[in-house]
Amino acid sequence: MDATREIYWNVGHGVVAVMYLLTIAAVSGAAFGFKERLEIWRQGKPLDRFDRRGDRAQRMLATVFGQTRVFRVKDGGVFHSLFFWGFLTLLAGTMLIMVQADFLLPLFRVTILKGNFYRYFSLVLDLAGLVAIVMLGGLFVRRFLIKPKGLETVADDYRIHALLFTILITGFLIEGSRMAVTELKQNPDLALWSPVGYVFAQALSSLGDGALPGLHKVLWWFHLLLGLGFISVIPRTKLRHILTTSGNSFLAPFEPKGTIGTINLEDESIEQFGASKITDLTWKDLFDSDACTSCKRCQDRCPAYSTDKPLSPMKVIKAIGSVAETSPKKGLVEAVTADALWSCTTCGACQDICPANIEHVNKILEMRRNLTLMEGEFPGDEVRTATSNIEVNGNPFGMAYASRGDWAKGLPVSIMQENSDVDILYFAGCYASFDRRNREVAAKFLRICAAAGVKVGILGKEEKCCGEPVRKLGNEYLYQMVAAENIETIKGYKVKRIVTTCPHCFNTLSRDYRDLKFDVPVEHYSTFINRLIVEKRLKLKPEPFEFTYHDSCYLGRYKDIFEEPRAVLKSAGGKLTEMSRSGYDSFCCSAGGGRIFAEEKLGSRINVKRVAMASETGMPILASNCPFCLTMFEDGIKTGGFEGKLKVRDLAEIVAERIEK
Amino acid sequence: MKLLLVGEYREGRLLDITAELMGFAAAIGGEASLFLVGSAEEVPAFNGTLYLVDAKVYGEYNPEVHKQLLLKAVQEENPDLVVFVHSSYGWDLAPRLAASLKVAQVSEVIGFAGNAYEVGCCNAKMHRNVTPLTSKAVITIQAGAFPALQEGGTPVVKVLSTDVASTTEFVGYEPAEARDVNLAKAEIVVSAGRGIGKKENIEVIRSLAKAFGGELGASRPVVDAGWIDHGHQVGSTGQTVTPKLYVACGISGSIQHLAGMKKSGFILAINKDKDAPIGEVADVLVVADLLQFVPALTAKLS
Amino acid sequence: MKILVCIKQVPDMESPFRPNGSATWFDESDLAFRMNEYDEYAVEEAVRLKEQLGGEPEITVLSIGPDRVIEAIKKALAIGCDRAVHILEPEVASREPWQIASIIAAYARDKQFDLLFTGMQSQDRGSAQVGVLVAELLGIPSTTTLVGFAWADGVVTATRELEGGVKGKVRLRTPALVTCQLGLNSPRYPTLPNIMKARKKEITTLQAGELSSEKPLTGSAAFRHPEKKGSGVVLEGSVDELVEKVLVILKDKTAVLR
Repeated sequence: MDATREIYWNVGHGVVAVMYLLTIAAVSGAAFGFKERLEIWRQGKPLDRFDRRGDRAQRMLATVFGQTRVFRVKDGGVFHSLFFWGFLTLLAGTMLIMVQADFLLPLFRVTILKGNFYRYFSLVLDLAGLVAIVMLGGLFVRRFLIKPKGLETVADDYRIHALLFTILITGFLIEGSRMAVTELKQNPDLALWSPVGYVFAQALSSLGDGALPGLHKVLWWFHLLLGLGFISVIPRTKLRHILTTSGNSFLAPFEPKGTIGTINLEDESIEQFGASKITDLTWKDLFDSDACTSCKRCQDRCPAYSTDKPLSPMKVIKAIGSVAETSPKKGLVEAVTADALWSCTTCGACQDICPANIEHVNKILEMRRNLTLMEGEFPGDEVRTATSNIEVNGNPFGMAYASRGDWAKGLPVSIMQENSDVDILYFAGCYASFDRRNREVAAKFLRICAAAGVKVGILGKEEKCCGEPVRKLGNEYLYQMVAAENIETIKGYKVKRIVTTCPHCFNTLSRDYRDLKFDVPVEHYSTFINRLIVEKRLKLKPEPFEFTYHDSCYLGRYKDIFEEPRAVLKSAGGKLTEMSRSGYDSFCCSAGGGRIFAEEKLGSRINVKRVAMASETGMPILASNCPFCLTMFEDGIKTGGFEGKLKVRDLAEIVAERIEK
Repeated sequence: MKLLLVGEYREGRLLDITAELMGFAAAIGGEASLFLVGSAEEVPAFNGTLYLVDAKVYGEYNPEVHKQLLLKAVQEENPDLVVFVHSSYGWDLAPRLAASLKVAQVSEVIGFAGNAYEVGCCNAKMHRNVTPLTSKAVITIQAGAFPALQEGGTPVVKVLSTDVASTTEFVGYEPAEARDVNLAKAEIVVSAGRGIGKKENIEVIRSLAKAFGGELGASRPVVDAGWIDHGHQVGSTGQTVTPKLYVACGISGSIQHLAGMKKSGFILAINKDKDAPIGEVADVLVVADLLQFVPALTAKLS
Repeated sequence: MKILVCIKQVPDMESPFRPNGSATWFDESDLAFRMNEYDEYAVEEAVRLKEQLGGEPEITVLSIGPDRVIEAIKKALAIGCDRAVHILEPEVASREPWQIASIIAAYARDKQFDLLFTGMQSQDRGSAQVGVLVAELLGIPSTTTLVGFAWADGVVTATRELEGGVKGKVRLRTPALVTCQLGLNSPRYPTLPNIMKARKKEITTLQAGELSSEKPLTGSAAFRHPEKKGSGVVLEGSVDELVEKVLVILKDKTAVLR
C-alpha cells in the first residue's frame, strides 16, 4: 500500500478558500500590528543599518537558525533552542503540506509526500512536535515552578505558554483522531512512522469511528484558528521577538566593539548633546526595546546589579521602550534614573551575552552625555574634582602636569622631547605615571623592554590623560580636548608603534582616536610581550607558580584578547586555574566607565566580589594586566579581608622576575 | 619706628589677638600706640596711647566709619606703620586705610628683615619678601605668627568720634554651629585631611584617634565635602587647638589650617607629599600612604 | 542692572613653583593655570543673581594678564557672564595690588556698574587687597569674605565669615562691591551648549598702560621655598619601619605616650 495520506481528510477541500482568507486576515493583522510598532521606532533619529546587506543577512541566518546566541546560556537556552527548532520544523512541515495540497497537486499533478519521503517526513514532524512539547514543558517548569531569580513573569507569559501548548497538543490530537480512523486500520506499518500520533490514535480509538470524525473536524478548525491567532498576536505580545530579535541580528553594528559616536563639536547647529528624550536616541535604540525578550541574561551578568546597585541593563532597555510606547515626552533620566546610569561600569557583559544583539552601553552613554554636557552633573563631587584636575593638569589626581614623567627617572627610557629615536612609544597613562603601585609595574615593563633590546620612549610631561574615563562618563568635550592634544603631540614625533599597559588607553588610542584621524598602530603590552617571547627576543627562565587570571573587560570582551596574556604567564612558569567567570564571561573589577573616579556608594563592593571569586580558586596569585583592575584588587583584598591569602600581581611584574640574565 | 596697632573687639569682648599685635611691636622694636573700636570698660593693659572708639556708638563692624576714625588717629599719631591682624576685621579695613593714605600695604606678614616683610604665597608653599616703597605703610600680620605679649600698664586714652555717615548696616552675628566635640581642650587631636580620599576613610582616622585616646579633628576641605560635621574643624574658621600631640593625616597644610594647630606641643604629620607645607610645622613628617600607615600604627597602639 | 566680575588666572597650587630670574615671583614654565578658586565663587554668584532677576542684568567679566588669561575668561563666559574685557598686561606678575586695583577702577569708573564681585583673595598672591581697593578708588561701599549673598531692591545682604565659625550679617546699598569666600556657593560645571555660546561672546581687549600708569607701592624679592622648621624630621621607608620609628619618637618626645 502506498505511503501517503489524504490531505484535508474529513474536512474536505472546500475549506481551502476559507482557510486562505483567514490566513490573509491573520497575516494582515500581524502586518498592521508591526506598522504600529514601526511608528514607535520611527520616533528615533535616523541611523543606517542597511549597508552590507549580504553580510547582515548571512549573520542573521546563522544567528537565528543556528540559535548561536540563545544557546550560549544553557539555562533556558537549551530549551528555547530545541523548542525553536521543533516548532520551526512543524511550521516547515505544515507549509510543505500546504504546498503539496494546494499547489503541486492541483496545478502540476505532482505528489512528493509519498513513499519513503513521506515516512521520514512523518517521523521527523512527529519527533519535532514531541521535542517542542517537552521543551515547552521544560520552559514551563523553569518559569513557573523553579522561578529563576530576576525572571519577571507577566500575563503574556501565561497566555503564550497556553497558546503554544494548545497548538502542539491539538496537532497531535488531530493526527491521532485521523490515524485512529484511517492509518491504524488501513496501513498499520505506516502508522508506526508517526510514533506520537500512533500513541494518540491508540488512546482515541476507543471513542469509535462514529465520534472521531466529528472530534477531528472540531479540533482541526480549532487548531487552525489557534495557529492563525498566533500569527496575528505576534506584534502585540512578547512573541514579536520572533521577528524583532531575529531582525536585530541583521541590524547589529559592524563597527569594532566599543565604538562610540564622536560628536562634531564644531557643528554649532547641535542644540542637544546626548539623549534626554527618546527622540534623541536612534530608531535602532527604540527597536532594541522591542527586540528584548526580558531573558535577564544581561542582568544576571551585570556587576552593578549583582552588587545591589539600582542598575539592570534589561530594565534600562525596558524603560526606554515603555517611554517610547506610552509617554514619548517623558525625560529618559526620569524613567531610567541617574543612579542607574552612573552605576554602569561599561564592562559590556550585558551586550556580550544578549541573545538579541541589543546595544545597552551606548544608550547609557548617550544618557550620561545628556547629564554631563547638558546638565553639568557628575555622579559625585569626587568625580567633578577628578574631571577638573584633568582639565587643568591632564591627570585625575591633580598632580602637577610637569611631574608626569618623574617616575621614569633613572629607568631605561627616553623622553621623546629629548630623544625620539625609539622603537616604541610607551603611552604610560595616568596610573602608571602617578600611582605608586602602578609605577612599579611601569618600571618592570621598561626592564622587560630593555632585556629584549627594545628602545622605549615616553612623552613625559607632554602626555595627558587619554580621556577614556571622562568620555565614558559622558564628557565628550573634555575627551576631545585631551585627545586632540595627545594626537598633536604624538604626530609631532615619528612614532612607529605605541604600546600601553592600560587597556583603557589601548582601547581609546587604537579605536576612539581613529575617529579623530589618528592611525599609529597601538598595542597592549600583553600581546607585545607575548610576541617578544614567541620571537625569542625575550628569554625567560620559567619559575613555577600557581595563579588565577582576571580578564580585564577592555582587553577581553572589548578586544578579544584572551590567549596572549595567558600564554605569557604560562611561559613564565605559571599554572593557571580559571575563575568561575573568565574569558567573555569575566566579571568587572568595578573601575570601568569612569567609575575609577567615583566612590562606590550604592550596594556592595564589586571589587570585593571579584576578589572573592579569585580566592575561591584557592590560588595564591591573582594576575591582572590593567592598572584600574590592579588598583581595585589591591583595595578589594584589603577591604574584603583576603590579605595573606591572595596577592594581586601584574603580568609585567611576574615576567620581569623571570628574565634570563 | 612709630607703630599704630589696630586692636580687635567683637561681641562685646576685646579679642586676645590684640596681644599678638603687642608681640609684633616688641619684636620689631617700635613705639606703639593702639587704635581700638571697643569699650572703656575693657582696655588692654599697656603703656602708650589708646585711641578709643566706642563700639556702642560706631558699631563693631562699620568699615567706612572705622576708616575715618582710624584716619584721625593716624593724623594725630603720624605712625610709620599701621599694623592690623590678618583677620576678617583686618583684611577688610586695612586696604581702606592704605587707599586713603595711598601707601603700601603688605598682607599676612609672618616675619621681617630690615624694611622687608616676609609673607607666604601660593597657598603657603612659597615665601617672598615684600618691601613697601612708600615712607608709611600698612601691614596685616598672620594670626599666630608672633607671640602674644601682655606687658601690663595703663594706656593714655584718647576718645575719637566722627559724624561720617555709615555706608553699611551691621545686622548681627550668627553663632557658630553647636559643637559636640571639644577640640580646644583635648590633649591629643588626630585630624583627617583631604588626603584621606573619601568619606569612608574617616573611620580609619577615627580608629587612630581612639587608639591614642584623643579627639578627631578635620581640615576644612573634609568638612566642606560633608565627610564630617563642622564641629570637628581645626583652623582659622574652625577651632584653634593646642594639644600636646597633634597628628595630621593627609593634611597638606593650608595656611588656615596651620593657623589653627601650629601651637600644638608636638606635631606628627602623615602625607604622601614630602614637600607639603605641613612639613614646615611638623616635628615629624612621615612620608607614606596613610591608608597603609595609619592602620598599622593603630594596630601597634591598641 | 550692570554687574562686573573681576577674575584672575592663577597657577594650580599643585604646580612645581620655581623663582624667576630675579626671584621677584615664580617662573611661569611648567605651571598649569586655572581660574582663581575664589573668583569662581564670584562668577557663580553673579550668574545666580542674573538668573534670579530673570536674565536682566548684564554681566561683564574682567581679567588682567597676558593672552593665557583668555582661557579663564572663556570659562567665566561659559558659566554665564555676558561679555568680557581682557586687559592685556604681559607683565601682570610684577603689578602689585595697588596697580591692579587702579587699572580695574580706571576701567569701571564711568561704566555705572551696580554690583562688583571679586574673589576674597588670589590663591597665588593672597593679599586680599584688590577688591576693597577697587571699591575705595570708586568710592563705593564694599564688604569682604562672603559666605552668603542676597539682593533685593538695590540692597545687598551679605553674610561674612568671621573667625571661629561665627558669621556676621551686613547690609549695603548698591552700587557696591563684595568679595567672595569658599562656601558661598558651589560653582556649576559649564554645559557644552554654554561653552559653545561663549565662543561667540564679545571679548574686548584693552591695554593696561592706557588705563592706569600708577607706580607700584611695594617691591617683591626673594621668592623661595620656605625653610623647614628646625626640628622637623622627615621619615621614609617601609610601613613597618615607619611605625616603629614613630612610636620611639613619640615615647621620647611627648608626654602622652608611655
